Amino acid sequence: MYGYHGQVMLIDLTTRKVAWEPLPESILRRFIGGIGLGTYLLYRYCPHGVEPLSPGNTLIFVTSPLVGSRLTTSSKFAVLTKSPLTGFIGDSLSSSFLATEIKKTGCDAVVITGRAASPTLLHITNNGVDYLDGAVLIGLTTSETEQAVKAKLGGMTRVASIGPAGEKLVKYASVANDGGRQAGRTGSGAVMGSKNLKAIAFRGSRPVEVFEKDALDTIGKDLTLRSLGPATEKYRTLGTMANVAVFNRLGTLPTKNFQQSTFDQAEQISGEAFVQSHHVKNAHCANCTIGCEQIVTTDDDGKQAKGRMEYESGFALGPLVGVGNPNTVIRASKMCDELGMDTISAGATIAWAMECFEKGILTPADTGGIDLRFGNEDALLKTLELISRREGIGALLADGSRIAAQRTGHGSEAWAMHVKGLEMPGYEPRSLKTMAVALSVATRGACHNRSSAYEADFSARVDRLKVDDERGRITAEGEDFSSVLDSLIWCKFLRKAFTDLHAESAAIYRHITGWDMTPGELKQAGERINNLKKLFNIREGWTRADDTLPARVLTETLPTGIVQGIGLTRDDLDMMIDGYYRARGWAADGTIPPAKIRELKLDDIVEQPSAIR
Amino acid sequence: MTVELYGQARLLAGQKIVEVALPVRSSPADFAQRLADKYPALVGKAIRPDLSGPMDSYVLNLNGVEFISGASVELRQGDTLLLFSSQAGG
Repeated sequence: MYGYHGQVMLIDLTTRKVAWEPLPESILRRFIGGIGLGTYLLYRYCPHGVEPLSPGNTLIFVTSPLVGSRLTTSSKFAVLTKSPLTGFIGDSLSSSFLATEIKKTGCDAVVITGRAASPTLLHITNNGVDYLDGAVLIGLTTSETEQAVKAKLGGMTRVASIGPAGEKLVKYASVANDGGRQAGRTGSGAVMGSKNLKAIAFRGSRPVEVFEKDALDTIGKDLTLRSLGPATEKYRTLGTMANVAVFNRLGTLPTKNFQQSTFDQAEQISGEAFVQSHHVKNAHCANCTIGCEQIVTTDDDGKQAKGRMEYESGFALGPLVGVGNPNTVIRASKMCDELGMDTISAGATIAWAMECFEKGILTPADTGGIDLRFGNEDALLKTLELISRREGIGALLADGSRIAAQRTGHGSEAWAMHVKGLEMPGYEPRSLKTMAVALSVATRGACHNRSSAYEADFSARVDRLKVDDERGRITAEGEDFSSVLDSLIWCKFLRKAFTDLHAESAAIYRHITGWDMTPGELKQAGERINNLKKLFNIREGWTRADDTLPARVLTETLPTGIVQGIGLTRDDLDMMIDGYYRARGWAADGTIPPAKIRELKLDDIVEQPSAIR
Repeated sequence: MTVELYGQARLLAGQKIVEVALPVRSSPADFAQRLADKYPALVGKAIRPDLSGPMDSYVLNLNGVEFISGASVELRQGDTLLLFSSQAGG
């Protein structure tokens, strides 16, 4: 086999058994790799109804046929599990050397079940699996853990680790790799912690051959040139923080827990300000020519913090919590990376708490004396620390805004800004109506990344402030396009460098694997993968009621900026969701008809269609 | 006509807000030519080298509401044009 090893490694931490299962061509062609193959493996190996933090849940690491090809942006991997935050599919992507090292151990994916008897460092090589003592790593940050493991096993070892937040089963804990990159959202770090896995070290030597190396090299050189052109300029110059000033101007920058969509201190934490005052250098993932990572540093008299800055972290730890000091935003983002927590969920859960505090629902007695108001920078940093330890107010906030609001009551669920339990990213749905649909229907919860539906809103294609029944179709197309990217796996920042993603990628897939793949087949794979994600969720209890937006979005209009007075009604959202289901060929209640399952060649994989609601 | 610059365009021009004389009925080419006259550093970066409009990686927006796709647009007193990266997500 070319491009793949054709096998998945199954590790049971309880029994310490390791097994190898074949991955035949029929599966690999249908699900490709990355998120797609991971969704198939999750559906297959994750028991129906399993508690996410129980030993029965599966934690899956997946590579892709592009990994090891040296094509630009190809060193990426996926992490999938049943999310402890949502109870539905949890799927994340991360980048860099770890992807290649996983593949060099001789498998296309690793499926981990069970629970180790004690804190463990799992060492995976092409010779097998060793269980090493992980107790000495407990309490270490993600970077300290990575350094300690490399000191023990060698500098070329690549490490997936959790920080203190994952150890304490914070439900939005992330899995870190390669110097602070994070497989974030949905809490895979908590699942890893529940398995007593502090870190997984990979070191392999098995190469993966490609079918037509010369043809692939020629394409690769051309793609590299395109990756350095205007299509990626924004990422190389200001990075995604370029969004802050624009979103503020357009009234789409969620501020103070989505109470408004403009922030009076936006310019202070804009991408332009960061470049001019805090920029250290750009960094690259392995095999990436774009170099989007903006490494920034603090410039005040406090303890120096240096790390990556991306828009979602900047928004969630900035405007969303009312903080306009770039130094504090840098410190907070770095803390989340080191503690191993998703920045969006952390920021949004704290924002919920800040609103509760300002309304008198949470008091200083609840917060241990912390003045947890919007804009209080010390309170933000202290609360992040407490969350990672599940101490004080952190104990309430460590399970996310949905559970915190359920426990707190007093109507606070109305301003818990999540969908399906996953906290909302930095796109105000009331002033981005296509994004409103996308956020409500996304299978992993409120997610901007799995549809890129905002592209329509930021173009002349639609009127972002008005609704119509085409938004659902646009969302579905965006999701299917993204699934192809996420399964091959291409970095999304490369997407505009393609003239025709499906045609070019199908050709690349043929050069790598030797298997004929048409653009149409690849496109259908994207649709298939999204349908299987939905089938997993249906199996785990999804109903149409889960496709919604927070009460605030559906009852309050925006108060400031050029979008003052703009809102979104329940009826309008339902109309657009109806259009999404129609575009997908689903029933009005969002379930998937047997004919669609057969059309997408999922009938040999899913449970009997009659068993699916 | 007030033009707000964002991202690399702002850094190259050295200003957030600039004033550009534009006809009442303006095309993206009109905008590109007038902006290039004042800020030549934007050519090839935010403005196409042939001055036919913004680069593909940029968008023109009117008053924060309407995205200008290619046709001419009627400008009124008090209107503001915004120039920013088209890769708005991240």
